[in-house]
Amino acid sequence: MNILLSSVQILDPDSPFYRQRTNVLIRDHRIVSIGNEHFESDQIVDCQAFSLSAGWLDMFCHIPEGSEWKDDLLSVSQAAAAGGFTEIAMLPNTQPVLQNKQAIEFVKSKSKFLLTQIHPIAAASLETEGKDMTEILDLRQAGAVAFSDGLNPLTSGRLLVSILQYLQHFDGLLINLAEEKSMTEYATMHEGIHSVSLGLKGMPSVAEKLAIIKILELLRYAGGRIHLSKISTSEGVELIRNAKKEGLQITCDIAAHQLAFTDADLADFDTNLKVKPPFRSQNDIESLIAGLQDSTIDCVVSAHEPHDEEGKKLEFDLAEFGIIGLETAFASLNTYAKLSVEQMVEKLALNPRKILGLEIPKIAVGELANLTLFDPLQTWTFTKKDIRSKSKNTPFVNHVFTGKVIGVFNQSQFQLFL
Amino acid sequence: MSQLSVRHLLGIKNLTVQDIELILETADKFKEVLNRPTIKKVPSLRDLTIANVFFENSTRTRLSFELAEKRLSADIINFAASNSSVKKGETLLDTVNNILAMKVDMIVMRHSSPGSPHFLAKHIKANIVNAGDGTHEHPTQALLDAYSIREKHGEIAGKKVVIIGDIAHSRVALSNIFALKKLGAEVAVCGPKTLIPKYIESLGIRVEHDVFKALQWCDVANVLRIQLERQHSRDFPSLREYALYFGVNKSLLDRLDKKITIMHPGPINRGVEITSEIADSEHSIILNQVENGVAVRMAVLYLLAEQTA
Repeated sequence: MNILLSSVQILDPDSPFYRQRTNVLIRDHRIVSIGNEHFESDQIVDCQAFSLSAGWLDMFCHIPEGSEWKDDLLSVSQAAAAGGFTEIAMLPNTQPVLQNKQAIEFVKSKSKFLLTQIHPIAAASLETEGKDMTEILDLRQAGAVAFSDGLNPLTSGRLLVSILQYLQHFDGLLINLAEEKSMTEYATMHEGIHSVSLGLKGMPSVAEKLAIIKILELLRYAGGRIHLSKISTSEGVELIRNAKKEGLQITCDIAAHQLAFTDADLADFDTNLKVKPPFRSQNDIESLIAGLQDSTIDCVVSAHEPHDEEGKKLEFDLAEFGIIGLETAFASLNTYAKLSVEQMVEKLALNPRKILGLEIPKIAVGELANLTLFDPLQTWTFTKKDIRSKSKNTPFVNHVFTGKVIGVFNQSQFQLFL
Repeated sequence: MSQLSVRHLLGIKNLTVQDIELILETADKFKEVLNRPTIKKVPSLRDLTIANVFFENSTRTRLSFELAEKRLSADIINFAASNSSVKKGETLLDTVNNILAMKVDMIVMRHSSPGSPHFLAKHIKANIVNAGDGTHEHPTQALLDAYSIREKHGEIAGKKVVIIGDIAHSRVALSNIFALKKLGAEVAVCGPKTLIPKYIESLGIRVEHDVFKALQWCDVANVLRIQLERQHSRDFPSLREYALYFGVNKSLLDRLDKKITIMHPGPINRGVEITSEIADSEHSIILNQVENGVAVRMAVLYLLAEQTA
């Protein structure tokens, strides 16, 4: 196999060609030449409109192994590739839960031959019930890249302290959601004027704010490192901004879809807009964008959460929370966040690996290709045909995006979406 | 202009002022029919079959709809199921599609989930009348309340109406707010802070927590039932305390320097949100509301049926 990416913009900050256009020759899945001279090749891709970066990594992706009709490792890998992700960190909320060595090894061995590599995040508490710690050291040994209860927020102060302390044995990472559950029970959308006029119980922004305040206090007390996923409020961004200034070891991400909708969009009770945290106000979106720009928000995740029709074609309050997001994450970020391509690469490829302690793939001669090729300016319409996931629960069908993934390379495979 | 702008009555939110006025005017005509000495019936909906699908308990709304349908000569079928028994197996959409397969033209539905009639409207062809969807809307109640205020006071524009009670768990409050605002009334809500949604002022209404002040301000007080069954947690300490501090009673009304109209959508918790003395007094138009309910529902069904034709 021989493929030439001609005149492509290089977005590897360590490359002498950073931000420049040049030719990249990939042979047998390895980068063999980079430069402005012409290289002979079987296949030439004209990349004058495209940019090339280290392959992207999604830090918050639910693969419902155990409910394989919704999605499995293979279908998620395909959806991820279509969305430009060459690696995924997978949440532990499978059946059974990812909480022992065998489960971690199963994921690793199954993903060995997939284009998109899947890294398991192990459960932080047994059954993700928030009561007792899992065998964290052994799980790490088996290959867990981080610890989290995934879709279930960890709220017990005692347990949070124990886990934060225990993880310090190897500078391990805890990933958590910021939700004060006692304030979100029975709620289905953001609390505000729209929840009032729809007669739906709302989740107030203060529920996220309270959870973050509590987590920051516990982090000050216990030390260690925490990453908060799916931040959604102005208040949350401000708290994390200040915590970072203070020097606390905290990082965070947002779901890419959070930028695309507000609570006003729920007027028609569309269950594909039922997500947690909920779509909030335009003001919150502005704060998330400011947070992305000043690096308060480190990463952007797909928050991929597949559900079958039975879970979504229902009355609003009975429907499941969550939407699929792998195929649309970059497009949503690129369309709504007003970031430079360099910033986007930071959020999608560089920062997730720094936080998880994984090696950042290089665009350099001799390296195995782990790359994402994308066109930041192309306008396109997302349709049902573009969905690779087995589940179709997305509000983005017929949505017009700017920015399209053109190709991915990893694990001695590649795929082009030309 | 003699047609509604909508195919379904999902809520007052989706209606234009003209829609509401058309319904009220049509109800006038049906009220005449109902007050005839004999043959209180018209053949308007002779060819239509209407299913009353009630997933939540209801006595007066269901009877009122049933009577309205009979007075219009429609064929009717009734379906009642508690949500829990439906949850075990069939989905809402399957249940309704099964009913529609028997060639039903119109669905009158009550359901505990906000937005459930909107959900149905996306998936079925029959006309839908929302007979109450959880804590969202109860449009025919708001229409009959508006009709009753108009009947008593001549017009609605400029009138001051206060809705007292459990606003947070009430579909009647929300529909009434939308309807009265569209018709030009000034609206206030009154009750303990825990029973009034935080952002409700953004609907363009006043919020008052002192029942006496609210009564002194208004021309009409619509007293709501305390919805114990719809509260997941107790938002006030006890019914006793509620009755003492937020109930409407004679001594409050005696202290007013004017006469006001008292309404209640029923069923009344006598001695809790309102005392019997007041509910049965000359101030009260509670039974007129019930009577008008049939005429208003006839108007809604009749006008929606025209949309099908």
